[in-house]
Amino acid sequence: MMIKIEQEDNSSSKGVQQFFKRLLEMQEIDAVFLPVRLKESSSIMPSLVTDPARIANAVLFSPAFPINSARMVSRLSYKVSGRKTAVVLRPCEMRAFIELVKLKQGAREELILIGMDCPKALTSSDYAAYMKKDSLDEDAYIEAVFSNKAETISGFDFSSACNTCENSFPVNTDISIFLHGVDLSDGVVAESCSDMGAQILESLNMPEAAIPEKRAEVMMQIKETHSKANEAMMADIGERTDSIAKLTVFLDRCINCYNCRNMCPVCYCKECVFNTDVFFHQPVQYHQWSEKKGLIKMPTDTVFYHLTRMAHMSHACVGCGQCSNACPSDIDVFELFKRVAHHTQAAFEYLPGSDENEPPPLSVFYEKEFEDVVGIK
Amino acid sequence: MEKFEPVIIAFVCNWCTYTAADLAGTSRLSYPDNIRLIRVMCTGMVDPQYVIKAFLEGADGVLISGCHPGDCHYINGNYKARRRIKLLQEIFPRFGIEKDRLRLTWIGASDGIEFAEVMTRLNDQIIEMGPSQTSLSKVI
Repeated sequence: MMIKIEQEDNSSSKGVQQFFKRLLEMQEIDAVFLPVRLKESSSIMPSLVTDPARIANAVLFSPAFPINSARMVSRLSYKVSGRKTAVVLRPCEMRAFIELVKLKQGAREELILIGMDCPKALTSSDYAAYMKKDSLDEDAYIEAVFSNKAETISGFDFSSACNTCENSFPVNTDISIFLHGVDLSDGVVAESCSDMGAQILESLNMPEAAIPEKRAEVMMQIKETHSKANEAMMADIGERTDSIAKLTVFLDRCINCYNCRNMCPVCYCKECVFNTDVFFHQPVQYHQWSEKKGLIKMPTDTVFYHLTRMAHMSHACVGCGQCSNACPSDIDVFELFKRVAHHTQAAFEYLPGSDENEPPPLSVFYEKEFEDVVGIK
Repeated sequence: MEKFEPVIIAFVCNWCTYTAADLAGTSRLSYPDNIRLIRVMCTGMVDPQYVIKAFLEGADGVLISGCHPGDCHYINGNYKARRRIKLLQEIFPRFGIEKDRLRLTWIGASDGIEFAEVMTRLNDQIIEMGPSQTSLSKVI
């Protein structure tokens, strides 16, 4: 079922707010999780809202993307809370959450997953600079991103993760909100993608809508543009890191803060091996390494850490770019991980977050498979 | 020029390939001493980290060798190893470590002769590839 979320006071964003307010007022729904502009602040943070009046500060379509919310939704859902929550996620957040559901670190049972066409994002540092320069007008932003397909916003480039994303449309949702290909002058469109979604939309008694005619075409164009950008990025990062020597230079500013791991929505270990005694070396160990090589950079194990992370998460990388966002040394870790992810995901024909019933590639194995890997002729 | 003697780390499972190595020894078969065996209980316990560490420490080749499909002492450890090797063979070439430096074989407990032959072939192939770049460059 497809409905129209009409404008309110000539504003699409207010119309969407009204939609969520009505959702929250429904008896079956106890809370809504969505990005909210915190009082007297420029920060838009994912928030769990239970008071319908607070929905007035919700900002769904903005360039703020401080964190991949999949982790937060995992915290809300890994055990039964006895509450029904409607959760609004960007497409990359949704895909990451589906990966966490597969790992039993989240559950859909008490959630209504609401996806949306991706409004793109700036890096957190660019977002802070943008908010100093400009005040965010959500409707103007929607117009710029979805109607005019702007490539920059107030002179800031969107993050490279967004520009190279080939999956910026909602998947695996109960309800999806569409803006691409929609005539935004009279609101946006919501489609139900599950029985539960359909029941909810039906109970709201909103005007029905038809599939936006131009949507498929617009989606195709976006995919094409992003694929091209992605290819260029792959070639560039490949050139910069195609040997261990170059990778060493690429990572030489890394301070082993592990922020890229902490902010990665699919770095799933409860306790990371790099936080264990395995890497709490004896003092003599450092000396021995230094004596062997003449010099060691400290902290040590930097390349080791990044390669291990790739072995752990690259098959599940959703390309959200939060690793680069979190890097205090400004290393392009997103590009690095995405390049490896591209190859590991192709090897296992795995698109993370696309199918909830598809097991992660390293969690299953069969007798007859990958026979090309075995043997020395 | 001095002949290149590679360092090859071989993780071999206790039940099959290590037993085959033992058999090769008791049968007085020789195999290249560039290959350094590390006995593990099962190839399924070879963490990708062991392989990464070996390469970063300058190994020119890494071999993982266990039981034939269906013969694993722990039922399916060798299948897990195969997926992990598949994964690593996608990662290393991105950074210039050739795919063929990381190998997986199945050598059964009674295949002492095969063990010696495979080790010789592996050694020859790694010599042909030359030293790994990690043994030449400083790694952080």
